[in-house]
Amino acid sequence: MRIVNPGFGLTPAGAEQATEDKVDWLNDPIVLFGNSKPNARELLEGVKAKLAGIRRTDNIDFIAKNSASQGAPPEMINDAAKKYRIALLALGD
Amino acid sequence: MSDSADTEILDIADLDQEAWQDYAIEQGWSDGLPLVMPTEASVARMVAAAHGDNEGFAPISPRQVVPTMASLAANAVMAGARPEYFPAILAGLRGILTPGYNLHGSMATTHSCAPMVMVNGPLRLALNINCSSNCFGQGWRANASIGRAIQLILLNVGGGKPGVMDRSTQGSPAKYAFCFGENEEECPWPPFHVRRGFAPEDSVVTVMSGEAPHNINDHGSTSAEGLMTTFAHTIAQPGANTIYGKGPYMVVVGPEHAATFHRDGWGVDKLRDELWTRARVPLKNISDENLAMYIATGHRPTGDFLTIARGPEDIHIAMAGGPGKHSAFIPSFGGTAVVSTRVKLPSA
Repeated sequence: MRIVNPGFGLTPAGAEQATEDKVDWLNDPIVLFGNSKPNARELLEGVKAKLAGIRRTDNIDFIAKNSASQGAPPEMINDAAKKYRIALLALGD
Repeated sequence: MSDSADTEILDIADLDQEAWQDYAIEQGWSDGLPLVMPTEASVARMVAAAHGDNEGFAPISPRQVVPTMASLAANAVMAGARPEYFPAILAGLRGILTPGYNLHGSMATTHSCAPMVMVNGPLRLALNINCSSNCFGQGWRANASIGRAIQLILLNVGGGKPGVMDRSTQGSPAKYAFCFGENEEECPWPPFHVRRGFAPEDSVVTVMSGEAPHNINDHGSTSAEGLMTTFAHTIAQPGANTIYGKGPYMVVVGPEHAATFHRDGWGVDKLRDELWTRARVPLKNISDENLAMYIATGHRPTGDFLTIARGPEDIHIAMAGGPGKHSAFIPSFGGTAVVSTRVKLPSA
């Protein structure tokens, strides 16, 4: 028997992921991206402290979107993508 | 575009009803309730009900894929919708897919929000959408299956799997289906959609990412002033998500309460203004720790209160229900908008 797939969808044109060069986890710049939830900053600062044991931290920065309930503005994401090779995100509450 | 989820048509083994339900649940397609099988014929009948609707759809979060008319119709069939409901389902979905609605945020949040769907205009009567007694409850196929179809679309096309991409801490019964009509026939004020600039003869679907309705019970007050005291203090909840996720809320006034407000000369603007100034959360009802968090995240008190809306324009008044001294407050997720979309009825 034949049915219509209720999960069927099309990937928007241009949404394919580009392949980037290999990431250098010990040296590439990292952005710690906060979600504006309480303690997100503290959580990410803890991640930075852990990273200090294995890599340089002078190119690890913290940014946060300005609303806990809304996505980060595209320009903020684009700026981060230009400046950093790695993003560590705070998710959840 | 490229296919992101197998193929549009699936060739599966012949299944009886029981085996079909097991299969659908294994696929992750169900909300937990039995589903109608989306055969090619039943989906074609659903699609035909949207004849002439050639407007595309934005990608659906969180999966970010573009639906086809057939995949949307398959979910409507599974929800138990009749084909004539499909244009209303599509209008609701289009509202949900507008950027202001913030579908991605409302799907990924730990809050319990679900798409609230309110229908206005002649289509309410044509589809027998319940606008009166028990309008938020069970018993009406149109209410149940229109709301459920939208939820299934978000689950199956959008990928909002509970506990995976739908991260709600507790969820809500509203996540099964949350659709009702405005009781325009008994409303003392212009219908909601007319107040938003649509023609009375337009059929319009309004959506908001909201919580399930909270009851406002007032059997004693016989004046608008008395009712407003109850309304304002019921709405001003210290646990309101909109204290820090600023956004709209709905007040669905029951017909008897609406009649009292109207008799005392209170229109919609007066109700909104009074709620804006009076439905605020007193700081004494908020813990020191929580207040510190609000202030640290930029949500400072206004005098001795915290507001739960950005202004009277965030407060939306509708009228629904039957006899009785009850009204309802529908809080929103916060970072969302109340979006109204005219239904595209099928061309001849």
